[in-house]
Amino acid sequence: MSRNGAWKKLRRWQGVILVVAALVATIWLGVTNQLILYIHPRYIVFTVIMAVIGIALVIGSFVTRHDHDHEDEEKPRRLGVVLSVGATVLTLALAVGLIVVPPATLTTATADQRVINSGSLTAGTKTVDSAASAPTGASAKFTVADWASLLRQTSDETFYRNKAADVIGFVSADTDDPDNVFFVSRFVITCCAVDAQPVGVPVYLPNWKSAFASGAWVQVTGSFDTDPSRSSKQPIVLLPTATKKTTQPSDPYLY
Amino acid sequence: MATHLLERNSTERSPRTGRVPIGVGLAVGAVAIIVVFAIRALTPSLGKWDLPNQVQDLLTLSISVIIESLPFVILGILLSILVQIWIPDRWIMRVLPGNPVLRRAVISFIGILVPVCECGNVPLARGLIVKGFTVSESITFLLAAPILNPITIVTTGQAFGFSSPIFIARIIGGFLVANIVGWLFSRHPDQDSLMTPRFAAECRLPDPHETGESRWKKSIEIFQHEAATIMPALFLGSLVAGLVQVAVPRALLLGLGSNPIWSILAMMALAFVISVCSNVDSFFILPFVNTFLPGSISAFLIFGPIVDIKMLTLMRTTFSTRVLVILTVVVGLLAAVIGLVVNYVA
Repeated sequence: MSRNGAWKKLRRWQGVILVVAALVATIWLGVTNQLILYIHPRYIVFTVIMAVIGIALVIGSFVTRHDHDHEDEEKPRRLGVVLSVGATVLTLALAVGLIVVPPATLTTATADQRVINSGSLTAGTKTVDSAASAPTGASAKFTVADWASLLRQTSDETFYRNKAADVIGFVSADTDDPDNVFFVSRFVITCCAVDAQPVGVPVYLPNWKSAFASGAWVQVTGSFDTDPSRSSKQPIVLLPTATKKTTQPSDPYLY
Repeated sequence: MATHLLERNSTERSPRTGRVPIGVGLAVGAVAIIVVFAIRALTPSLGKWDLPNQVQDLLTLSISVIIESLPFVILGILLSILVQIWIPDRWIMRVLPGNPVLRRAVISFIGILVPVCECGNVPLARGLIVKGFTVSESITFLLAAPILNPITIVTTGQAFGFSSPIFIARIIGGFLVANIVGWLFSRHPDQDSLMTPRFAAECRLPDPHETGESRWKKSIEIFQHEAATIMPALFLGSLVAGLVQVAVPRALLLGLGSNPIWSILAMMALAFVISVCSNVDSFFILPFVNTFLPGSISAFLIFGPIVDIKMLTLMRTTFSTRVLVILTVVVGLLAAVIGLVVNYVA
């Protein structure tokens, strides 16, 4: 077979390989309840249904033979060939990644890159009024996103008195005082992992790096007060009474 | 490769029908898919890969774009098959007015009937060209349909309110941009030269209705062909979109938020990079509402569905590079102007 012929054949199979990789990965993620690592739960049913239809069409393609090829492309230039080979290799590498690399959440790299608490959250978070009138003990159920929203709204320490916190998230160092302050962080998702906004609750724990690494999942209990750190810019921080390592929750994102 | 050997053998046996025996084809296809499924199911038990964080996030973000877009791509291909094979030509062509301007205006609203986002629209637009649309008409459809369709209208309304300036700017802006750009390209004397030579050649082939194949077989062939064209573009676009998101600090864009002109450009840059579908982009941009001016959000919502990294790679399957450059510049300017108007009015 000529090199050109082999290349054409690879190009034709490239589409099949990519579509099978994407469809199989989608269905497997759906079956194992891990699609939430990539998209908001409201799209799961639609995504899985379309993937199943796609698989049916792929199986249909194996039955039908492709008999008219209209692949008479213009004679490719050298640069064009290099680009096209490079692009094909990249897409196939991504397909392999889809199939063999275990699914994962976004890491601290994205949390740092997108700057924790830089977006202004609107949906599903607590207001100062609703939190102030909530019964004692209710605050222990507040999520990282709830607290992040409250911390944005007020830095009045009397508001935080008698409001115990119990939050789970991954550790991400504070940029201003990385040795003594870290964020218990989560990503908030509105559509898919692409739009994940990192939110976090600042925790004051001197020398925390001796206890756990950046990116580790932790559960922190304690209460909020004025930040004792000199270099951190956070006015209010969580002063922990207990911290312990925990495993990543099966639904790591908040909505 | 095994299926190819099978295909060749079967062709020798039955050259007229050109078919793999159905049982064999089904078995090979099913086994191949089961093998891929098994690999996917077994690899996580081998343990974590410990990739560097940036590489892991590049993979997660790229996969997220693919999985988010994939159902819309499949839906778009299904609708393209429906238009090309199952709906008689006269249904589409007869209801359209003869006057080119009116015709494009009506075409802008086809999205109401086929609610797909921009990635699903590319195969559908290709199907419409094959069916007899001019290139400028298909561009009008391609630009208008992601915005003027029920899902996008409802999600945008839910996110911002149905009487908000952002909502109104998006609907009217989407219509205007699609028709202005469509008119611009309709002025070109040689419509075929707007397409890639390869796709133009496909369009000159005889109508698939003419050949004696069964409709089901032709439907499958369109699926194969569209998947082979669209999937590499989708993967490549997702990879580049993921790469840019890992590489460009978000703070850079957010720092520009409050200036009326810079915030428009920053939002358009964000739309270009982020490459999410129009059906869901309102929810994406909602958290930025207090950081950015309403005109900038409008520019994001008009520019994003038409031009972004993923969309450019998808459109490159069909239109020439020159068309894409002109389209990007004109749509960018129009979206920025609409954004400025909203910023000063609202």
